[in-house]
This record gives sequence, C-alpha cells and structure tokens, in this order.
Amino acid sequence: MGRYVLKRGAIGLIQALGITIVVFFVIRALPADPVARLVGFNATEDVYAQAQASLGLDQSVWSQFVTYMSGLVRGDLGVSWVTGSSIFSEIRSALPVTLQLITLAFAVALLVSVPIGIATAKRPGGKLDKAVFGYGLFAGAQPEFWWGLLFIFIFYYTLGLAPAPLGEFAPSVSPPPEITGMSLVDSLITGNFAAFVDAAWHLWLPVMTLAFIVSGPIIKMTRQSMSRVLGSEFILYQQASGLPSSQVARSTTRASLPPVVTLAGILFGFLLGGAVLVEQVFAFNGLGSYSVRAVLNLDYPAIQGTVLIITIVSLLVYLVLDLLLAAIDPRVKN
Amino acid sequence: MTIPTSPPVPGEHPLEDLSDEKLKTKRWYHDVLLVTGLVIVTVALFLAAFGEAIAPYDPTIPVGPPSSPPSAAHWFGTDTAGLDVFSRVISAPRIDVTLAVSAALLSGILGTFIGLMAGFYRGPLSALIMRISDVLQAFPVFILAMVLVALSGRNLTNLIFALTFLYTPIFIRLTRAEVMTQRERSYVEAARASGNSEWTIAVKHVLPNSLTPSLIQLSVTVGFGILLTAGLSFVGAGVRPPNPEWGLMIANSAPQIVLGEWWTSLFPGIAVSLTVVGFAALSNAIERRVATS
Repeated sequence: MGRYVLKRGAIGLIQALGITIVVFFVIRALPADPVARLVGFNATEDVYAQAQASLGLDQSVWSQFVTYMSGLVRGDLGVSWVTGSSIFSEIRSALPVTLQLITLAFAVALLVSVPIGIATAKRPGGKLDKAVFGYGLFAGAQPEFWWGLLFIFIFYYTLGLAPAPLGEFAPSVSPPPEITGMSLVDSLITGNFAAFVDAAWHLWLPVMTLAFIVSGPIIKMTRQSMSRVLGSEFILYQQASGLPSSQVARSTTRASLPPVVTLAGILFGFLLGGAVLVEQVFAFNGLGSYSVRAVLNLDYPAIQGTVLIITIVSLLVYLVLDLLLAAIDPRVKN
Repeated sequence: MTIPTSPPVPGEHPLEDLSDEKLKTKRWYHDVLLVTGLVIVTVALFLAAFGEAIAPYDPTIPVGPPSSPPSAAHWFGTDTAGLDVFSRVISAPRIDVTLAVSAALLSGILGTFIGLMAGFYRGPLSALIMRISDVLQAFPVFILAMVLVALSGRNLTNLIFALTFLYTPIFIRLTRAEVMTQRERSYVEAARASGNSEWTIAVKHVLPNSLTPSLIQLSVTVGFGILLTAGLSFVGAGVRPPNPEWGLMIANSAPQIVLGEWWTSLFPGIAVSLTVVGFAALSNAIERRVATS
C-alpha cells in the first residue's frame, strides 16, 4: 500500500509539473497584453516600459520561466500583479471556501441520490423511475448559474426562505477569525454560534444548487450499477441458497458501489472547476471567483497558481478514490 | 456545467420500460425522446438561421420602456436598457448554436481522425497523444476555456477554436476505442490479404465502421458547447455585449433578479436549458436505436 501511494504521488507530481509548464508557456504564447491591461492603453511608452520591467515581462520567456520555477521549488507561487499580495496566501483563503461548498453539495447529493438510485433499480419502469428519468436526462448538463438565479428568485425574493446572495455572511454579522477558512468550521471552533447559524443560512441555497445539478448522474449511475448486480448470478445464487434478504441487500449494495464511487470521485474533482459559476452567482470568494478575477485581469501568476492548486487537489482526490476502491473491491488491489 | 460520465453501456438506458423488442417494432415518431430531440434541434437550427430576421424588434437597440414586464407588445418584457427580451432570445441562436455546432463538427472531424490514427497505428506517438488528451480531460474544462478565450481575445473565432480544442479529446478517445476493436475483425484481415495498403484499410474500411460513437457524441457535444459559451459569457469571458447571447442576457439580468425582475433571466435560461436537453435527447435516442438495431 505504502509503495503504491508513493508511486502514485510521484506520477502526480510529474503531471502537476507538466501542467504547470504547459500553462506557463501557453498563456505567454497567447496574444494578450497584461501590461497594457495594468497601465491602460493610453499610457506613455516610459510608463509601459517601467510596468513591463516591474512585472519581469521585459526578460526573455526562458528567464521568466527559470525565475518562476525557482520560486516554486521554495513553495513560492509568486505575487499577484493586481493586488500585490502573495498568491499563496490569496489561494490559502479562497480554497477552503470552495472545498466547504462542494463537499457539502456532494454529501447532500450522495445522501439523496444513492437511495433514489437503489429504489428505481428495484422497480424499473415504476412511477419514481419515470420521474427520475426525466430529471436525469437534463441534470448533468445544465446552466447551473441560471438555476442558481432561479432559486434566488423563488427562495429569497418570493418566499423569503434564503438570504440575499451577497456572500458567506450577512454584513451585520462579524465573521469569525480565519482559522481553516471554512465559515462553518471557523465559527464552530471559536464558539460563535450566531456566525455559525448565519454561515449555514448563507450556504444552503448554493449547496442545493450544486447538489441539484450533480445528483442526476449519480442517480443514473447507481441505478445502472445496481440493476446490473441485481440481475447477476451471484445474487440469484444467494437468494436460492435461502440467505436472509438483509444479507442479500448488503451484498448487492457492496457489489454495486465501485462504479458509483468512481463517478463520485470524478464529480468531486470536476466540481472544483464547476463551482466557478455558482460562486459567482452567490458572491462567494472561493477559488472559482478567484480564478475568474485572475483570468479577466490577466494576472498570470494568479492563473498559474490556481491551475497548479486545482491540479494538485484533484490528483489527491483521485488518489483517495483509488484507495477507497481498493478497500471496497478487493479485486482492484492486484 | 457539463458533467463527464462514464461511456454508456449499450442496452442499459434509463428508460427501460421501453424494452428492446418494443423499440424495434415502434414507429420512429412514437419515440418521445427522438421526437423531442428532433423538434428542439430543428427549432434551434431554424432560429440560428432566421431568428434575427423574424424577430419583432431589432435585438440590439432599445425599443421600449426599460424593465417592463411581459406584455402584448413585448412578450418576454424588456430589460434594463429597454431591449426586447423576446427578440434577443430568438436572435441568440445565431451566435450560441452556430458556435456550438461549428465547434462540435470541427472537434468531431479532428478527433475522429486522430483517434483513427492513434488506434490503428499503435506506437509511441499514439501513446503520447493519449497521455495529452488524458491530461486535458482531467483538467477543469471551464477554467481552461476561460483562460484560452480571455487571453486569445474574446471573439467568435477564438471561442470556436477554444471549444474545438477542449472537445477533441472526447472524440479521440471514443474513436480510438472503437478502432481498436474493429482492427481485430476478420474483414480487416481479408482486406489486408487482398493487398490493400494499411492506409486504405484504415480510411476505407475501419473508419466507416468506427464512426458510430462519434456520430452519437456529436449532438450532445453541441449541447455542451452552448452551455460552455453561455457560462463563459456569464462571467464576462465570452461573447461581447451588446450581442444577443443567452449567457450574456442572464449575466445582465443577474443583479435585477433580487429586485424581482424575473423575466430578463427566466426566458434566456429556459432557452439554454431546453436547447441543451434537446441535443442530449437526440444523442440519447439515436444511441438507443443504434444499440437495438
């Protein structure tokens, strides 16, 4: 096991390095002018040259690359061209916001969809199955930003059951000090109950929006995998041998889990980037909003940092996923 | 957002109350999924061509009082600038649908060809291509798209290139998998025995037999493209205002929704949602027919 993790870690490191290098050169090959963006298009040549020098863009691409990589080796992601603060600390406070959002959305989606998927597999063609089919057809590829807005209109404007989409806390609530960066966790640690309630109040709608979108594929996959197992010979054999139905149910569930876990892992990695639009709609300062700002401001170090961090986090997710799969399905180990 | 799922297993489709036997004997126009898909796709393509011509108002100039709710004069109401929402919604396919169809076709052609080569001639180059497309597919599509479009300039050509670049790996993967099973078939051996060159075998014999997965994928990719374009425009990294484009319309109306102005975002949103469902349904229906035929 230890050797496997080490090997995967090494491969992951090479992949992350590869992506970093590609992104570094690709964004410099594209015809954008970050200097003009910073100083304005009417800036005099002197001002332009000065800004260019201060960003290091007067150097050759290779020497820029050497500078960046030697920073990376020391764990330094560079400094934002727009805000002037360290990319590492900016991402350090943005990433937990996204992680909290997608983890919750994910938990909700799994808790709802797996039982639904199992129920539909048991009664194919039933009422629930038909209803779920309609939902499954469109969920999975939907404009989540629009659904977010629709939910805001329904739950905030019309019903008053959700707060205005203005971030993680109401302006009247003093947010807890940033420890982990996750609003719920931080307010719990500091025992700030009012902040905890407010954080949950601001989280439920974005969480539901994301869960609504990702549930479709999970239900589909659970149903597919479950019906395959239900029709398999080993379940028939268990039933024929007169095992109690609870035992049969347990075997069925265990045998149908691997594809669902695989999909879940893919979805989680995917949500890291997919949360961008939902964060924008609900004004959450997560990694998604950060990446939008970075791209629109042509803030190269910030773009590179975001890409690197997302790659590392998704590689970690895939690693955990594989270990989980090996635990569920002993055949995978070999 | 478009969620990657594992490739569907033939014969395992969600609507299994329609058994394979039933589907075979069924007339095509009784297939709800197929008809829904065809109707929506036809309307979308029609509007892409003639939407702007049949729109009651010019979609880019103010034609009424700002922020007025739906009425007889303005069926879908007007936005904050006084533009007619209905005219904009039906003019938008010119950009959204055209862009997505072009990108899907380009990536389909490119991906199928590369997939054919990578599957037929196996070697270090083919392994490298697969590695690259793996890495591309593993990376969050939306962020990559945003970087590509924003940095290369926000215009339609660049959007098409970015989408093509992002969707090509899907077609490579699908075609390659199919080619690898086809090349072991006896008809390939027969073709080889009768003296055909490897290139002829690949292009004339294996390619036509390996097209099905790509053709099925094509329609659903159009839907993905529409979604991605709308999303990019929503964050300000896609189509430029004041072009009529669904994502842009939703972005402009986002601040109004908390004030209760629902019509400016509801209608373009329904348009995106329905169009994507339509293209996905068509793919789904074709796939079922292929699987049962």
